[in-house]
This record gives sequence, structure tokens and C-alpha cells, in this order.
Amino acid sequence: MNEVCDSEAPVLDAPALARLAGLMRARDTLAASFEATRHRLARRHGAASLEPWAQGVLALVEVNAGASALLAFWRASLELSGRLSPAALGETGLAAAALCREAGGQAACAALDGFVAIAPRLAGEGERAAFWRALLALAQAAPDCVESVATQAHRLVLPGHVADFEGFIAAGLKAAGRDSARRRAFFALEDTLALALLARIGAGPGFAELESELSRVLAALWGTAPPLQPLPPAASEAPRRVNIAGPVLRLPEVFPGVEGEGARHLYRAAALHAGAHLHFGNPRFPVRKFRPVQIALAGLIEDARIEALAMARYPGLRRLWGRYHIATPDDGPTLACLLARLARGLFDPGYADPDALVGKAQALFAAARDRLDDPAISLDIGTRLANDIGQRRLRFDARGHVVEPAYRDDGLGLWDFSDIDPEVSDEVQLLVEAARIERREGEDGPPDVAPSRAPAGRARERAAGETVPVIATYPEWDAQAGIERPDWTSVRALAPAPVDSRPLQRALERAGPARARIARLVKAAKIGRAVRLKRQPDGHELDLDAVIEAAIARRAGDVPNLNVFRSTALTQRDLAVLVLIDMSQSTRAKLASGASVLDVEKLAVAMLGEALAALGDAFALLAFASNGRDDVRLCEVKGFAEPYDAAALARLAGLSSGLSTRLGAGLRHAGAEIARVRAFRKLILVLTDGEPSDIDTPAPDLLQDARRVVLQLRAQGIDTSGITLDPAGVGAAPAIFGKANAMPVRRVEDLPLRLSELYFRLARR
Amino acid sequence: MPSATSPAAFPSRVPDLSAYRIAVEPYYRPVGDEIAVFEAAWRHRLPVMLKGPTGCGKTRFVEHMAWRLGRPLITVAAHEDMTAADLAGRFLLSPEGTVWHDGPLTQAVRHGALCYLDEIVEARQDTTVVIHPLTDARRILPLEKRNEQVAAHDDFQLVISYNPGYQSAVKDLKESTKQRFIAIAFDYPAPELEAEIVRREAGADAALARILVAIAACSRNLRGQGLDEGASTRMLIHAGRLAAGGVSLEAAVEAAIVLPITDDADVRRALGAAIAACLP
Ligand SMILES: Nc1ncnc2c1ncn2[C@@H]1O[C@H](COP(=O)(O)OP(=O)(O)OP(=O)(O)O)[C@@H](O)[C@H]1O
Ligand SMILES: [Mg+2]
Repeated sequence: MNEVCDSEAPVLDAPALARLAGLMRARDTLAASFEATRHRLARRHGAASLEPWAQGVLALVEVNAGASALLAFWRASLELSGRLSPAALGETGLAAAALCREAGGQAACAALDGFVAIAPRLAGEGERAAFWRALLALAQAAPDCVESVATQAHRLVLPGHVADFEGFIAAGLKAAGRDSARRRAFFALEDTLALALLARIGAGPGFAELESELSRVLAALWGTAPPLQPLPPAASEAPRRVNIAGPVLRLPEVFPGVEGEGARHLYRAAALHAGAHLHFGNPRFPVRKFRPVQIALAGLIEDARIEALAMARYPGLRRLWGRYHIATPDDGPTLACLLARLARGLFDPGYADPDALVGKAQALFAAARDRLDDPAISLDIGTRLANDIGQRRLRFDARGHVVEPAYRDDGLGLWDFSDIDPEVSDEVQLLVEAARIERREGEDGPPDVAPSRAPAGRARERAAGETVPVIATYPEWDAQAGIERPDWTSVRALAPAPVDSRPLQRALERAGPARARIARLVKAAKIGRAVRLKRQPDGHELDLDAVIEAAIARRAGDVPNLNVFRSTALTQRDLAVLVLIDMSQSTRAKLASGASVLDVEKLAVAMLGEALAALGDAFALLAFASNGRDDVRLCEVKGFAEPYDAAALARLAGLSSGLSTRLGAGLRHAGAEIARVRAFRKLILVLTDGEPSDIDTPAPDLLQDARRVVLQLRAQGIDTSGITLDPAGVGAAPAIFGKANAMPVRRVEDLPLRLSELYFRLARR
Repeated sequence: MPSATSPAAFPSRVPDLSAYRIAVEPYYRPVGDEIAVFEAAWRHRLPVMLKGPTGCGKTRFVEHMAWRLGRPLITVAAHEDMTAADLAGRFLLSPEGTVWHDGPLTQAVRHGALCYLDEIVEARQDTTVVIHPLTDARRILPLEKRNEQVAAHDDFQLVISYNPGYQSAVKDLKESTKQRFIAIAFDYPAPELEAEIVRREAGADAALARILVAIAACSRNLRGQGLDEGASTRMLIHAGRLAAGGVSLEAAVEAAIVLPITDDADVRRALGAAIAACLP
């Protein structure tokens, strides 16, 4: 830096350039490059305009950026000279210098090289500034990460999406916090969140935005909507395809690089293609001795088969899929390109290809026209084509195989890999890996209603009885002794353990019909019940009968009653409800669907919660379980004063099963909570799967106690109703809640709808 | 001419029900054995309940049956504010004093018409109970205000319609009302049949009718998934008329089906995609 200060050269019109020229003459390693760059820039832009550029160079010199950074800047200047003015180049130099001050010369060098790669994607000064601003922010917080981001700039900055780049950096800094190892992994794109964000850059809308629409389109065309799941992006840059796992469709979270209507269209095409697979027989061919190329070809024919069937029923699908069949012989000589043309030829019988294989495939497929409903033709034709390919010694790249066009699924769903012959298993494994689907446990089973992911170290397990504070003690009725024992039970507050609520959200979406019905109930209830008032002194219309009576009275010489109008008034809702959720061990039981009883309870509560929030009724959600009289645990999912928001849903999703059901204590606590709320009517709804029980007291006694609490609450003006899962229909619910207030549910799956219906029935009284 | 069976002093002006007679056969394409069931019910004058979604042919069926049986048809559309007097009748003022005026139900009861109460659930339950004594063995209509019991004409028959889709915990028929009726279930006809109906009623060609029926099937798959009801036969006929009249098929479907059934942009997009798949 001192060399700069010493050599002030007073040149009036171009002081920086003059000073720079002086400086450079002294640096023999750089002098030649500098001169060459300056010369070429001057030729393009005129020598007189180079001053701002020189200021950029000087700035780099001033921060001791080092020779390689200067060279990088000159390289960039020449590369971009056709695109950027000397002024814009100067800005670039200033920005690189600022970066260098924070992160060093090497980072500045990498940033300049990265900038060259992406500059054509940046529109105007604003976007260029945004790019450098983002890098500078990164340099200030995590100088060690600038280089890796700069070298990946071509993946992170897409045309029109520089804001996503800024967002990516901000998200990485936030996610990693002080964890420098995590930060490095994130910015080296080795972190799952980073990959997910990377995939979103310049893409969208994605699965999350389109899921409900896709599910509806599938339902509309194929009668039922299969469960949809998102498929996170793979670590490599290879594109993702839809995966069919049993009855479940797994769609990429995003199709990278596809935006707007294009993305919507591609998702539709993909979902309906996969839906057609499920609809027109989703065979499971045993892999046995099949080689990857056979598997790929059979899949290709099967795709054509199900699409032909689908288009016979819905001709418009040809337009939907047709726009992706654009492969031509000019795409390249590889087998992958030939396969794409094969797909095109089968899709469009009018397509003619110079390669005889396409014609042959078309002929074979046309000959099988009358047997299209038989999946065996796919194996048959696929095998014959695969043999031709083998004879022509075309190499099939199992490891790099990606199904084309992009809307088609990876084809793996067609195969049963369980009886694979050892002779081919390694090769086939490559094909499976190429799709980068992580095989998950229980994949072939039916999907959970709302899989309760139980991360290690849940609040529940940590909360050993003693460490959780007692928040209340309650009496309990000892039926045998016939006395109420004061302060017999201790209630402890169990901290909620919120989890990702998306599975629950998805279960809600799947419960479409029941939800729609509840929405109707909400609508009806919201309007309030109109009560018609007859014979009113004023109103919006005449009460005909009253008018006539008045007229008759007048003629008869009597005094007419002039209350001859009708009007309506809306009944006011003034109601508070507390839902008490049983989360005892028995709710862990799995149903045929794979979901647990507690999962269904959660879904039921989530549906009711939605309705209550829409109605604006005051409500609270409380879950309970017990482990002896000293350890009755109450978990507040939502208090009366709290909003029913994403956090509440996450707390609901986070409930987990365990321990026993001391209902009386739970009810007393619920009663105490709701007693504090001001409302004209107060309701407690208990959601349980059976009879009260606990480790230290006989069940019949607990039942008696619960009954007693219900009666006491009623005396206080609090109505208690029980909705109990009771497949056998023998439950104790009527004995506890009274016959009119017990609603046993035989089929657990009915619970969500029944709970809401019960609420609406009660709320009307 | 129908004869009054009521012995009560009856106004000399016997209302002429000829306006309620149906002269020309209303086109009705039977879907199952509904005509036979209705005729059997008619022989015993049992009240009939037609259950089914909107626009599937219930009204048309009653018209057809009235024509077939040669009876006048009096139709009342029930609504929330309907009172028993709206059905049975009331005193009106005239220069000579007060005059009793029969309501539509009473007219049908006296003179032997088919009375069709459309969308009966809409009426309040206290209104609905006036039909109770008419629909059991008594077959009478008490007119409290007039202090008269009208015994039903031999040819009187009551028909009600009821759309279970709307049924909710809020609105439903009383059990004691439901249990008085012979029920005939209606639903949208099978595709070929529905296409035939659409073709005839809309003056559309067979291909167009088939496309419209396929679109309807898609929309009906969305029942409960964003739509309360799928597209009805009536909607298809409307769309078919527009298209047969020169409106482009897309526009006709949009105007006659998509826009009327949903306000939700998401559902509209999904329905739009399904429709695009159905269009050639
Ligand atoms: N089986 C059928 N034969 C002839 N036409 C039919 C038939 N089914 C439906 N339609 C046609 O559908 C139209 C609608 O039917 P209609 O008015 O009878 O419906 P609805 O069931 O009474 O409906 P809503 O409950 O809304 O009153 C009719 O005008 C008629 O054109
Ligand atoms: Mg009708």
C-alpha cells in the first residue's frame, strides 16, 4: 500500500490511469499483462473512457489483492468487455476489492472467475450489484466459504433469479448459525438443506405449491387420487424423475430450471402419466435375469402402452404429453438419445426416424394394438428391442440412465426386485442407484395417515415424573371407601414437543370429503341460526296472517293489533370448548392403514381445530396421560388465548403415545381451565380410546371417579361429552358421560368426522 | 273434472286445474325400474320421495309420470321461509269479507292432483309436519283455521324431492317424515344413457355429448374434494346447447360448467386440466 501513497502522479484528465500505469511499470510480472489489457480495452472503448476501469484496478491494488486477483480481473475485463462498459467493469473491480478486504485475494480471484461465468445471466447494474452484495455479506460472516460459493456460482445464479442467490446465502448463514463446520458443508453444497434450496433456485412452483391441485386432477381423471409424497433433490446434478412406490406417487420437490406455467404443466404431465400407470394395471414384473437395458426398454414400452390406453379415454392427454416428445436424430448419437426417439416414435406413430430400431418398435407396438390391456406385451417387445440393441453393440449406461422425457417416471415401480438373479444383480443395482431413490423402510406398505416421526430425545421421555413441576393437585373419589380423597392426584405440565406438521397437514388434505362436509357445517353454523320473529312492531316484511287478523279486527270493530311485521334475528354464538385428548399407551395401536390411533386422533382434532378457528369459537386443546396418581401429565397443545396456527399444529403433531388414562384427573384439570374462560356455554369434549385405567387404582374405581367429575362439571354449567373409539361397542362411555353425551365410534377411521359432527350437534343446543 | 270430496261448504268457484295438466309427453329416458315403482306406489296412493343430486331428472320424471297417469301436477318449491299457510291456504280479504283461499297443497288434495314438493328439506320442520296426516292411513289435511278436515281426493298423491348431498347435521328430514315415503333413488345416468339424454335435449351430436359426459364424470370425481356437487345432467345440456349453437366447446364448458360450480381458483385449475384431457 505504501507504494501507492508515494507515487501520486498529477494527471488531470485521468489521474487513476496515470498512477496505475506508473505503478505497473515497476511490477515486471504484471506489466505486460496490464499493458495488453489496457490496450485492448482502449481499442474497444477508447482510451479516454478507461478511467473508471483503472479505478477498479487501483482499488484491488490498494487492498493488496495479489497478482492472481489482478490477473483474474483483467481476464474478466477482457471476457466481458463486449458486454460491460469500462464503468461497469470498474464497479466490478471495486466490488472485488471490497470482497478481498474481507475474505482475501484468493476469494476475490474465485469470485471474479465465477462472475465471468454468470455475468451474462445478470440483467443490468442492479442485478450485478446484488450478486456482489450477496458475496460480500457472506464474506463478512463466513470468509472461509466465499471461495466454494464463487466456484459454484454457475449453479446458484440463474437468469432472473439473482434474488434466489441472495436468499440462498442468507438461508445458509441462518441455518448454520455459529456452527462453522455446518456452514462450510452448506456452502460447499454438501448439506441437504443446501441441496433443497439449490433445487428451488429458478424453479417453481414446486410440489408443495401444486400438491393439492395435482391430487385433484388425478382424482378427477382416474377416480381416486393416490397419496402423493415429495421427493427431495438428489445430491448429484442428475435430474429427478417421479417414482412410483406401491400405491404412492413420489414427485420431485421441484423440477430444477422449470418455472411458472412450464412447471405446472410438467407436474401435471408427470402426475397424470404416473396416475395412468396405477390405473391401467401396475404390474410388478419379477426382475429375475433381466439386464438393465431390458428393464429400461420394457419400461419404455409399458409407458407407451399405458399412455395409449389413457389417450384412448382422454384424447386431450396427447396435447399434454406431446410437447415433451421433441427428440430428433440431431440430439446426438448416444443410446440415450435413441431411446428418447424410440419413446417419441411410440407416442406418435406418425414420427419417422432414420434409425430402423424406431420403425421396428413402432411396427411391433402397432401389431400389439389389440392386446394393449395386457402388460405382458411390454416385456415381450422390450426384450426384443433390447436384443437388437445388444447385437448392435450399443452400450447402455445403467449408471447414468435417466428416463426421458422428463414427465415420465423412473420406471422402477414396475419391477419386483425381490427375486433378482445374482448374475445380474450388480448391474441392475446401478440402474436403481441411477434413480437415486433411497429405499425406505416399509416402502411397499400403505402410507401412514400421518406418520408420527419420533425423533430421539422427545420431551416425553425426558420428562421423568420428578423433574416436571406439579401445577395442580385434585381430589379423587374413592368409590370403595365412599369418600373423596383431597389432593389425591398431582398434575404436571408436560412440555409440548413440536415436530414437522407437514405429514399431518397432508393427512388433512387427504381427508377431503370429510373436510368439505365439516366446512359446510361451519358455513351453516357461521351464518348463525336465523330465528323468525312473527308479529313484530317492525320488520322487513308483512306478517300476512297478522295483517289479515288486524284487518278482520278492524272490520269487526275491535282494536287491531298493529304488530304486523315479520323479522329475523340471528342467534349469537357464545361458546367455549376444550378438547381433551387421550394420549395413553393404547393409542399407539396401529390400524390396518399403518397409522396409529393417536394419529387418527390428531387428524380428528386438527379437523375440528380448523373448523373452530374458522368459526371463531374460543377453544383449547389439552392432551393427557398418567403414570400413577402422582404423575398425571397434561400437555397444552393450544390454550384458549393462543391462536390456532402452524405452531399449534406442530405441537399437536408432536404428541406421542404412552402411559395410562386417569380420566378423572384429566377432566378436573380441563374443568378448572375452562372455568376461567368467560362464555355462555362451556363444553369439554373428551377424545379417548377406552376406559380409564392407571397403574395404582382398579379401573372400575377410576370409572366411578370420572362419572362423578362429569356430574360435578355439569352442576357448574360445563357440559362434558365423550367420543370414544369403541370397535366392539361395549365401552364404558355411556356410564361416564351419560347416554346422550357419549358417542362411541366403531370405525376408527370415522373418528375425524364424528368428532366434528358431535361438536356441531352440541354447539347447537 | 275432479270432484271435491269434502262435505264442507265449498266456494262455488271450483278452481280449474286444467292449467296444471300436461298435454305433451315430457321426454323422460328411464334409467332403471323407476317408472314401475312409481306406478305401483300410485296404485296404492303411497307418497313417494325422489332422492338424488341436483339436475339428475327428478323434476322431469314427475312431469312424465303426471302425464303418463293423466293427472294434473302442482309443484311447490320449498324454501326456508315457507309457512304451513303457504302450503295449506289462508283467509284473504275481499269486498264481501274474508274469503278462504286454498293453498297449492290443499288444491291438490281436494281435486286429485299430484303434488310435488321440491327440495322439501329447505322447509322448516314445523312446516313439514302438515303433510303427516296426509301421508299416513288417514289421508286427510286438517285446516285448523277453517276448522275443516279435507279428505284427500282419490287421485291425490304426494311426491317430494330430497337431495341427500345437502343433508347435514343442520338440515335433515325428521325421521317421522322420512318413514312415510316410498323412496326412489336417482343418480346421474350411466354414460351412454346420459349421452343419449344430452344429445336429445341439447340437440348436440353424439361425439359432443360423449365429451360432455366424460367431463361430467371427471367433475363428479371431485365431489368432496373441493366440489360439493359434480356437474349435473342439466349443466351438460346447457353446455351442449351453447356448443351446438356455435359457441366453442371450451367456452361453452367454461360458461356452463366450470364457472357455475366453483369459485375456488385451485379447484378451477384442476377441473380445467381434467377438461383439457377430455377435449379432443
Ligand atoms: N332420465 C332423463 N330423461 C330425460 N331427460 C333427463 C333425464 N335426466 C335428466 N334429464 C334432463 O336433465 C334436466 C334436469 O333435470 P331435472 O330438472 O329433472 O333435475 P332435478 O333432479 O329435478 O334437479 P333439482 O334437484 O335441481 O331440481 C332436465 O331438464 C332434462 O332435460
Ligand atoms: Mg328439479
